[in-house]
Amino acid sequence: MIGRYPDYDVLQEASHWDEATRRVVLDRVENVPPFRFFDERERETVKAFCDTVTAQDREPRIPVAVYVDEKLHDGSFDGYRFFDMPNDREVWRLVVQGLDDEARALGAESFAAAGVPTRLDVCHRFSQAKLHGGVWSRLNVSRAWSLVVRNMCEAFYAHPWAWNEIGFGGPAYPRGYSRFGSPHIDTAEREEWEGEQAFSIDPVRDTKERGLE
Amino acid sequence: MTLTTLFRKGAFAMPEENDSPWLLHPHKRGLQNLDRMRRYGKQDAVDLVVVGAGAGGVTLAQRLARAGWRIVILETGPFWDPDRDWVSDEKGSGHLYWTDTRVIGGNDPIEMGKNNSGVGVGGSMTHFAGYTPRFHPSDFEVRTRDGVGADWPISYWDLKDSFERLERELPVAGQDWPWGDPHTYPHSAHPIAGAASVAWEGALKQGIEMRVGPVSITNGKFGNRPHCIYRGFCLQGCKVNAKASPLITHLPDAIAHGVEVRADSMAVRVEVDDATSRCTGVTYVRDGREEHQRADAVAVCGYAIETPRLLLNSTSPRFPNGLANTNDHVGRYVMVQGATQVAARFPYELRMYKAPPPEVSSEQFYETDEARGFVRGFSIQTISPLPIGWAEHVTAEGHWGQSLREYMRDYNHWSVLGVLCELLPQAENRVTVAGETDANGTPVATFSHSLCENDKANIEYATKVLEEIWDGAGAQETLKIDRYAHLVGGCRMGFSADDSVVDSSHRAWEVPNLLVCDGSVFPTQGAANPALAIMALADRLAGLLRRKRL
Repeated sequence: MIGRYPDYDVLQEASHWDEATRRVVLDRVENVPPFRFFDERERETVKAFCDTVTAQDREPRIPVAVYVDEKLHDGSFDGYRFFDMPNDREVWRLVVQGLDDEARALGAESFAAAGVPTRLDVCHRFSQAKLHGGVWSRLNVSRAWSLVVRNMCEAFYAHPWAWNEIGFGGPAYPRGYSRFGSPHIDTAEREEWEGEQAFSIDPVRDTKERGLE
Repeated sequence: MTLTTLFRKGAFAMPEENDSPWLLHPHKRGLQNLDRMRRYGKQDAVDLVVVGAGAGGVTLAQRLARAGWRIVILETGPFWDPDRDWVSDEKGSGHLYWTDTRVIGGNDPIEMGKNNSGVGVGGSMTHFAGYTPRFHPSDFEVRTRDGVGADWPISYWDLKDSFERLERELPVAGQDWPWGDPHTYPHSAHPIAGAASVAWEGALKQGIEMRVGPVSITNGKFGNRPHCIYRGFCLQGCKVNAKASPLITHLPDAIAHGVEVRADSMAVRVEVDDATSRCTGVTYVRDGREEHQRADAVAVCGYAIETPRLLLNSTSPRFPNGLANTNDHVGRYVMVQGATQVAARFPYELRMYKAPPPEVSSEQFYETDEARGFVRGFSIQTISPLPIGWAEHVTAEGHWGQSLREYMRDYNHWSVLGVLCELLPQAENRVTVAGETDANGTPVATFSHSLCENDKANIEYATKVLEEIWDGAGAQETLKIDRYAHLVGGCRMGFSADDSVVDSSHRAWEVPNLLVCDGSVFPTQGAANPALAIMALADRLAGLLRRKRL
């Protein structure tokens, strides 16, 4: 994880969390479930797709694909289906098939076997809803992209490693916060256990000033 | 001088006819003495069956139980124990939302689930943000004032006492309120976090005033409910018992007065005697088995999707198109609010995950101003999403891969404001039942929604105001996400059977002992969050019913 909070590990606070929360969060790290929804061939495609969309190119990876699989296996969906879309399970199956078809059309054996430029190209066109024909004609492509990205982000940003990367405080019960106000000061107050950013240079300002945009 | 203006912070009148906060356990969050909850026989015709243990149903039951009514509440979801069932975690809270399939359509489909639908005892207030503003007097006469939508058959002044009572019971914390009918709040305003103070300063620079609150979050000990601990997980269910939901604000008192709650029991049909057009009870499914509770009256309190769905699925020879639906009004005029959010980036850290997401708000744009080019208005509120919610902002702007990760890494530098735009009621924005069925074999709801021109103009203008506020605050960059919030309408109250499903006392025009008491009776929705108004309607209805039976 490349973050701005190099000395911050939210899991060091786990002993301060209530038991129900601790169990749920630690399970994400310690008890990664097996694949149960996607078959073996689909798994490779889904893993490669999740890696590409969440920009994970080395270990340790947050196992996004497994948690997408778990959601689909458990049927814990989000509560709605667009009138012009199949159900979420069917959408994922079609998307996996479509990604492989696109990769093959570009000369690769499958999406998982394709090189990074091919994967990025397919994902780019998917995100722009510029995939047509084949299985894509059975989907509203733009809504399919929103669904799969939402499912992936839910898995990724539920993981404590991602919280370390973004400096999120994580569960805060029963401890709560007493330092959260920062009117008229340069930076938010921090609890002493909250992560500190590694550098004080603001990247937005910095890139502008150095003409790097 | 009214009684309200005499109230001073710290010395307000404690609620007299609701002991709920004192009936809670001082150290445990779940309700106590549930093993002693009264149980009614299914053949024993109770005075009232309430369908849905949310803001409308629980408030109504608590009031009527005190008047001696024998009441059973049926609730599809579980009876929550916050200590055991809720977690201080975003993804781990999915079970609080109504996630059974609903089919969505129209030109502007409304995504359902975590954002607008709850399940379980306490209803969607268990995971609402906590904003509890009052409706404005103008909200009840939109047709008369602006020539659009509909007038309510009641006025703000019919609900004013109810608003005040509920504000004491929740209790609501906030600064003195200058908009609508100006009023004060029983608990003083909470301290605010950095993310809200930059919004406040930006608004002031643009001549826009904000106020802290109004939120139904304790700012001080209240009975056995503790002070808020500012952990920021209001939308995941308050494990602290600081944020109000009917589970803790009204149900303890209701149970103490003989109400039975049957959780995990999904109503599938309101039964009717076709000869008399009176309903006789409710059929529900528990553990996969159909059961039936007899009752002298039925109050459907399932909210804007499930209330119409239940009535539409309750067919009989007398009501072939659904109960109380001879005139085809059930399921129509469902409304949401335009809830676009604009996030802004600052060079310093804000850490918006701390403190409750609802902090400060403004109703300066609530009323019609013809110069804006549309009628009705909007309110402005702080939002402060947690990481998964923040990812929805980032991906809505088309980011994925490296740029998704980079924007997410920047989380602590952002603050988020949202609007609630009043969208107008339209007959074709409606709930119908689909060919598809749920696990019980009951047809699921289809919700079709499209914006009208006034809606689009309102949302566009409101979004521009958010951008101006962030400009005033010195934001370096903004991100926008178009979305919707809240659900009301679908069984609206009105003046006759030709324009509505229920009358001003919530009684179905066609079925004299069928009540609807939830957000679905709203003829219009205002630009305020609906929770307080739903509870206030239930309080008023109980006042009408207290001394009589249906």
